[in-house]
Amino acid sequence: MFEGIKAMAQGLGSTFHALGQPRDTIEYPEKRREYSPRFRGKHMLAKDGDGHELCVGCGLCEAVCPAHAIRVVAAEAEDGKAVSWTNRYAVDYEVDMIRCIFCGMCEEACPTNAVRLTPFNELAASDRLEMIADKEELLHPPVRK
Amino acid sequence: MIRLTIDGQEVTVPEGTMIVDAAARLGVDVPVYCYHQALGPLGACRMCLVQVEKMPKLVTGCTTAVTEGMVVHTKGGAVEKGRKGVLEFLLINHPLDCPVCDKGGECYLQDYTFEYGPGRGRFQEPKIQKVKNGPINDLVLIDQERCVLCQRCVRFMGDYVGEEQLLLEGRGVETVVTTVDHQPATSQFTGNVIDLCPVGALLSAPYYHKGRPWNIDRHSTVCPHCPVGCSSLATTRESHIIRLEGRPVPDRDWGWLCDRGRFGYDFGYHADRIADSWVKERATSAAQATRDVAEWMQQTNAQYGPGSIGFVMGGQFTAEEAHLIKKFAHDVAQSDNVAVMRNVRGYLPAALNGTFQDLTEADTVVFVGVDPYEAVPVVHLKLRDRLRHFSQLKVLGVGPRRLTRDTMPGRDYLVASQDEAVFFARALAAAAKDGPGVQTLVDSVRDYVLPVSDADIEAFGQALLDAEHLSLLWDGENAAMAEVLAVLAGLREKPTAVLPTFGPVNWRGYEQAGIDPRYDNVEELLNKTRTGEIRMLVLWGADLTRDLPDRQLAEQALAKADYVVSAQVVPPLDMPYIDALLPVATWGEVEGTYVNMEGRLSIGAAGVQPPGQARPTRTYVANWGRLFRQDFGLDDEWDPFDSAQGDLISRAGNNHGPAQAVPRPGTRDASQEWTIIEGDWVMENGMPSEILEPRETEFVARVSPEDAARLGIGEHGGYVEAQTAGGTVMIGVQADPAIVERTLWIPRGSRHDWAQHLEGLVKLTRPEEVPSV
Repeated sequence: MFEGIKAMAQGLGSTFHALGQPRDTIEYPEKRREYSPRFRGKHMLAKDGDGHELCVGCGLCEAVCPAHAIRVVAAEAEDGKAVSWTNRYAVDYEVDMIRCIFCGMCEEACPTNAVRLTPFNELAASDRLEMIADKEELLHPPVRK
Repeated sequence: MIRLTIDGQEVTVPEGTMIVDAAARLGVDVPVYCYHQALGPLGACRMCLVQVEKMPKLVTGCTTAVTEGMVVHTKGGAVEKGRKGVLEFLLINHPLDCPVCDKGGECYLQDYTFEYGPGRGRFQEPKIQKVKNGPINDLVLIDQERCVLCQRCVRFMGDYVGEEQLLLEGRGVETVVTTVDHQPATSQFTGNVIDLCPVGALLSAPYYHKGRPWNIDRHSTVCPHCPVGCSSLATTRESHIIRLEGRPVPDRDWGWLCDRGRFGYDFGYHADRIADSWVKERATSAAQATRDVAEWMQQTNAQYGPGSIGFVMGGQFTAEEAHLIKKFAHDVAQSDNVAVMRNVRGYLPAALNGTFQDLTEADTVVFVGVDPYEAVPVVHLKLRDRLRHFSQLKVLGVGPRRLTRDTMPGRDYLVASQDEAVFFARALAAAAKDGPGVQTLVDSVRDYVLPVSDADIEAFGQALLDAEHLSLLWDGENAAMAEVLAVLAGLREKPTAVLPTFGPVNWRGYEQAGIDPRYDNVEELLNKTRTGEIRMLVLWGADLTRDLPDRQLAEQALAKADYVVSAQVVPPLDMPYIDALLPVATWGEVEGTYVNMEGRLSIGAAGVQPPGQARPTRTYVANWGRLFRQDFGLDDEWDPFDSAQGDLISRAGNNHGPAQAVPRPGTRDASQEWTIIEGDWVMENGMPSEILEPRETEFVARVSPEDAARLGIGEHGGYVEAQTAGGTVMIGVQADPAIVERTLWIPRGSRHDWAQHLEGLVKLTRPEEVPSV
């Protein structure tokens, strides 16, 4: 019986010890964890200083993607209505966030540094279609609250 | 034969072979830009440098012919250094814009730089800027910065096609490829320079920025626009055909396409494409249309008995689909009235049908009523190829207009279409009096007056008989020619080949499927319809009003039939008579066999989904079979391929009976000032194309330059008023030096309605008011 009391005291001892320690649990969503700036989350499409898209729709990201999550459709811009910095631009740029494995190969393949993986990782939706990020969505990367 | 060693391997090749070709035999890849087997050696790009023992410097493999005992090294330090240097020079002014270049991923400059090139260039100076995306014409773009000056395009257009529309301009690093006088290139074959260009300099305008090698699929298919049936590759992306490329077949075909075929793939997406089912001029569901048609068929059969439904095949269907229609007609609709739509009366038995091999071996070529440049353009290129290797090629044209041209020079015999057979028969009679069947042939036309002198007729007959290898191209206009050709083939001991250039494109395939493609057959079917024996017409791609030479018969048959069902891709001219218009899947949407003018079977793959309600033939017949409560159309027991024959159809069965006399042509009405002649022209084959719109002209009819001057028609054509028996119509006309005076040429099977209303043409006059285009 003495053995039992000892073990219980030991257990309670570590409990009371832990009560005084700082907590590992983060009270999400009120509080959020810090991520490394190199964390690979949701994609974004960057623009240059003049507001032109960097993406020229070359499709290399599409070619390199191991999960076939990217679809790019390119087109020629009308005269005087340049979308990107050259006459070719991406009309459609879609990333299927369900398929994406966040390997970052698209970012690595991009010759114009247009595709970047942001640290944003709050990917949830009640509809599968909502998980396909279109170009508009990728051009306006979400900011973490 | 010469023996030499390449990279330690011995190879034996014929004399005159270039090192690169000898290496290719061993599977040794020597990088090349400027050299192309069809175009010959040039040595402009210096990419193919190889080391030959006992030669002090590296030599170009594409211009050095092999010699006995030669020892060649395509690898090793010296060669690698040479290639690195060449590539570094080629890339000095290259913009390195691969991400925006359409060729990216299928570019030899990329591939060779990756494999043999230097890691980086040492050139620091700014690159020379040149024209980017400038036009060669509306279909081909040129990016002069990317050009490596291999001159393949210039040589192709100048030497091979014979229409010098591209040239090199400027000197040194400023040299650029451009068009003559900076005017758009107008040749029929400009699209081939896209395939020929080893880098991203020449680009297809409709494919511009549309696809990348990794997001497209390539389906090997057959071009459906003319009876040549060029082997090609259809590029599809997301169930859309976005490009057509030539597909070379080793030892047989270089993979050239004409612009009509290369850029005319979009008829399936044209705004005119029928995508809805129409019953009694009202759009309805596919299921309802199928039910209605089945009900009509049952009703007709119940009321008038078996054989009261007539089926006419036309369009660009596959042989398998023709077989399904034939089988459905026989098994379910209880009718053997199945015919092939024809727009000319001639028919060629398979025994006389030559192959394209006969063109590459011919020493005499005769065009009977057909100008291959317009009707079957790639045949013209094949003949140009022959002319390059055999400059004595004798070209003879027999027809109502000049059929030879600057790029295919020869002698023309101008005789009316109806006199062609008489001309041939008389020529044979003059040259071989005692030949079998010759006297019978000319029996009734001995004293018929021809516009050609007797000496010329005899010379022509002699040329036919003396030819070592005679090839004839025949447009099928004059039906009596079949008889003459059979006698001619019997007279000659040396090879004689005839290539029919008439349509529909897959008529040989329909014949293989068991449908009689003779004109008599379709004529008989329509006569039965006119007399009321056949009560219902099912037109599978056929457009009677447009195609049938006897327009009156077509209209009467259509008007008399109780029900006319028409399965079409684009609205036919029969439209006012049609009770049910069914949208049907077409080329590119159905896999099947096409048989071309040389009787060769090839498979056209299916790459895309048909739009809207369009269904393949199989779906229609299977559904009708179900509605008739007959199990039908689900088993594939028929295969047009016969393993004993390979991919050529059987030439056996020339049980040609005794020769028959050529009928005496009816006398022409001398009071008529104008003669109307028809000819095949691929641009006007009835298939609409948005891409080719800049190439299309409103002025499709043609008159001689003298008549054009008289009518006040400008350089690019103009409108004239044609006064005919039935009233006045406005037609677009242009001048063509191939047309003789007082003759109006119109394209056969034109989509233009007026082309059907020119009977009894009295005169052409300059219109008072010119309609705006």
